[in-house]
Amino acid sequence: MSSGDSYLSKRAGGMLIAPLFVLLLVFFVYPLLLTVWQSVYENGFTTRPYEELLTSTLFAKVLRTTFDISFTATMVSLFVGYPVALHLSRQPPGRRVFYLMLVMLPFWTSILVKSFALTVLLGHAGIVNQILGYLSGDTLHVTMVFNRFGAIVGMINYLLPFMILSILGSLLAQDPNLARAAQVMGAGAFRIFRKITLPLSMPGVIGGVIINFTLSIGMYITPALLGGRKDMMVANLVDFYTRQTLDWPLAAAIAVVLLVISGVLVALLGRVRGGSGTMGAMA
Amino acid sequence: MTTELAEKSVAADTGSMMIEVHRLTKQYGDFRALDTVDLSIRKGEFVTLLGPSGSGKSTLLNLISGMTSPTSGRVVINGVDATDMPTNKRGLGMVFQNYALMPHMTVFENIAFPLQVRGMKKAEIETRVAEVLKLIQLENVANRRPRALSGGQQQRISLARCIVYNPSIILMDEPLGALDKKLREDMQLEIKRLHAELGVTMLYVTHDQDEALTMSDRIVLMRNGRIEQQGSPETLYFKPDTVFSADFIGSSNLFQGRLEGEGDTVTLTAGKDRLAVELRSEAAVGPGDEAVVLIRPENLHIADGAIPEGTNVVTATLLDTVVLGGVVRHFLRTEDGRQLVAQVLNRSDRARPKRGAPVQLYWQVGESRLLKADPTFSKQ
Ligand SMILES: Nc1ncnc2c1ncn2[C@@H]1O[C@H](COP(=O)(O)OP(=O)(O)OP(=O)(O)O)[C@@H](O)[C@H]1O
Ligand SMILES: [Mg+2]
Repeated sequence: MSSGDSYLSKRAGGMLIAPLFVLLLVFFVYPLLLTVWQSVYENGFTTRPYEELLTSTLFAKVLRTTFDISFTATMVSLFVGYPVALHLSRQPPGRRVFYLMLVMLPFWTSILVKSFALTVLLGHAGIVNQILGYLSGDTLHVTMVFNRFGAIVGMINYLLPFMILSILGSLLAQDPNLARAAQVMGAGAFRIFRKITLPLSMPGVIGGVIINFTLSIGMYITPALLGGRKDMMVANLVDFYTRQTLDWPLAAAIAVVLLVISGVLVALLGRVRGGSGTMGAMA
Repeated sequence: MTTELAEKSVAADTGSMMIEVHRLTKQYGDFRALDTVDLSIRKGEFVTLLGPSGSGKSTLLNLISGMTSPTSGRVVINGVDATDMPTNKRGLGMVFQNYALMPHMTVFENIAFPLQVRGMKKAEIETRVAEVLKLIQLENVANRRPRALSGGQQQRISLARCIVYNPSIILMDEPLGALDKKLREDMQLEIKRLHAELGVTMLYVTHDQDEALTMSDRIVLMRNGRIEQQGSPETLYFKPDTVFSADFIGSSNLFQGRLEGEGDTVTLTAGKDRLAVELRSEAAVGPGDEAVVLIRPENLHIADGAIPEGTNVVTATLLDTVVLGGVVRHFLRTEDGRQLVAQVLNRSDRARPKRGAPVQLYWQVGESRLLKADPTFSKQ
C-alpha cells in the first residue's frame, strides 16, 4: 500500500517539476550545448579555437588577471565576512534575523544599481573623496573606481552575503555545549575560538571560499563598470570576441573553459558539503 | 593561570565546605527559576539535585559553574567568593548529558585539551591521558573520533576528560540521561567507583529517583526553584517531611483526612477509614488539622490469617500483581476508590491472593508517617 502511495507521489512530484524542467531544457541546457558545439564546429569539426587559446598571450594574461582579482576579492570577503558571521551567530535569534536582513540587502539589489551607487560613493567627486578632500584641505584624492580597487570593492559587495551565510551555517551548527565544556575546563575565549569554533567552522569557510571564487571568475558587469581598462576579466573577453572581433567560436571556447573551471569548483563544493553535512540549513 | 582554585583546594583541610550557596536567586522576567536557595556541600560529598522537570536543578548547577549569573545571592567555591568569577577561573569539572566531546578531535586530543590549557608538557600529557584511559578501561580508542564510539563509551571519555585534570569539584547534569537502562546502571557504578577512588566532591543532577537513591550521600530535593527537603537517601525515603517528598521518592500510599482525638496517638478519618496515627512534633499538625498519613508499600501487609495488635486495617480489592524478580507488587483499590500498593518479598512457597479477591490490608501504626496536608499538591 505504501509503495503505491509513494509511486503516486513520485509521479505527482514529477509532474510538478515538469514545467521548470522544460524551461531549463530550452533556455539553459540547449544554449549551453549550442555554445559547446560552436566552440568545436566551423564548417566541420575543429580544434582551432582551443589551439588559439593555448597560444594566446591575451587569454593567458586575462585568465591570470581574473584569478588574481577573484582570489583577492574572495580573501577580502572571507576576512570581512568571518567576523560578521561570528557576531551574527552570537546574537539572540530575533536580532539575528534583523541583522541577516541587513546582510542580505545588497543581495536583493540589482548589480547594476549597486555598481552605479558605488561610482557615486567612490568616484572622483564621490562622497568619500569629498570627505577626504575636506579633511585634508583639498590635497588628498584617491582614485577608487575604474581600477582594480573599484572592481574588487564592487565584487565584494556582491560576494559577502554568500560568504557570511556559508560561515554562519557552520557556526550555528556547532553544539553550544562544546564552548561551555571548554570554558569549564579553563579555556579562555581566544583558545576556544582557535581550537573549537574556528576548526569546526572550516566547512563553512571552504564552502564560502569556493562559492565566492566561482562567482568571481564569471563576473562581468561589476568589473566592467567599476574596474580599470587594463583589468579585463574572462567574461569581458568573451564579450570582446563576440562583439568586437566577431570570432564566435573563440568566444564559445573561452566560455567552455570558464564553464569547466566553475564545474570543477562546484563539484569540490559538493564534496565539502557532503562531507560535513552541517551547512545545508543556511546557504 | 586557571588552576588557582584547584591548587588551593589541595591545601584546604578536610571537612571544609567545597561549595556554599547563599540565598541564591535567578529570575527570568517575572519567573523565579531559583528562589533564595541555601546549600553547602562538604569536601568529598556526593550530592544529588533531584526534582521534577523545571524545578531549577540545571539553573542551580549553571549558577555554580558560572555559565549563568545570579539575580542575587552568592556562590562560594572552596572558600573563595566566586559569584563574579568567570567560568574558566572556577577550577571545576563538568560532565554534560550530550557528552560535549569535540567532534574534530580524537579521544586523545579531547582528553589532552584541559591539560594543554594548563600548560602541561607533552610527555606528561601523554602519561596522564594513558592513565585515565586505563582507569575507565578504554585504552584502545585513543586515536578514534568520538563519533566512532558508542554512547556509553563517549560518556566514559567525557568522564575521563573531566577527571584528567583533577578538579576538586565535578558537576554533572543528567550525565546518563541519554543512555539505556542497563548501561545507565553500569555507569552509575562506574561514577560511584571514580568518586570513591578520587575523593572528589560531586554535584549530580538527575530527575531519576532510583539513580539519586543509589548514588548519593545526600539528596537535595527541589521543587519550583526551592529546596523541598534534603538529607540522606534513607532520610528522604523513610522520613519525608512533606507530601511532595513522600510522593516523589519511592512509591507511597497516602491517606488524607482530619485529625481527631487526644494524646500521642490520634485518629485520622479518610473516607470510611478511621486510622490511628502517632503525632510528630516536626509535622506541625494536631487535632483538628488536615493531615496526610504515609505508608510505604513494603510496610503495607496483606492479611494471611490473624492480624497483629497495634495495626490499622483497611479492606481492598486486588487489581493486579506484578512480579519484579525478588519482590512482588500488589496493586489494590479500596471501596472508596483509593489506589494502594503493597510490596512483599517473592517467596515461591507462599500462595498469592487472586486477582479480584477482597483482601484485608494492615500496617503497624509506628510504621506510618504523619505529614502536614499540602493544598498545592495533589497526587494524580
Ligand atoms: N534562559 C531562560 N529563560 C527563561 N526561563 C528559563 C531559562 N532557563 C531556564 N528557565 C526556566 O527555569 C525553570 C528551571 O529550569 P531548569 O533548567 O533549572 O530546570 P531543571 O530542573 O533542570 O529541569 P529538567 O529536569 O527538565 O532539566 C524552567 O521553568 C525553565 O523554563
Ligand atoms: Mg535540567
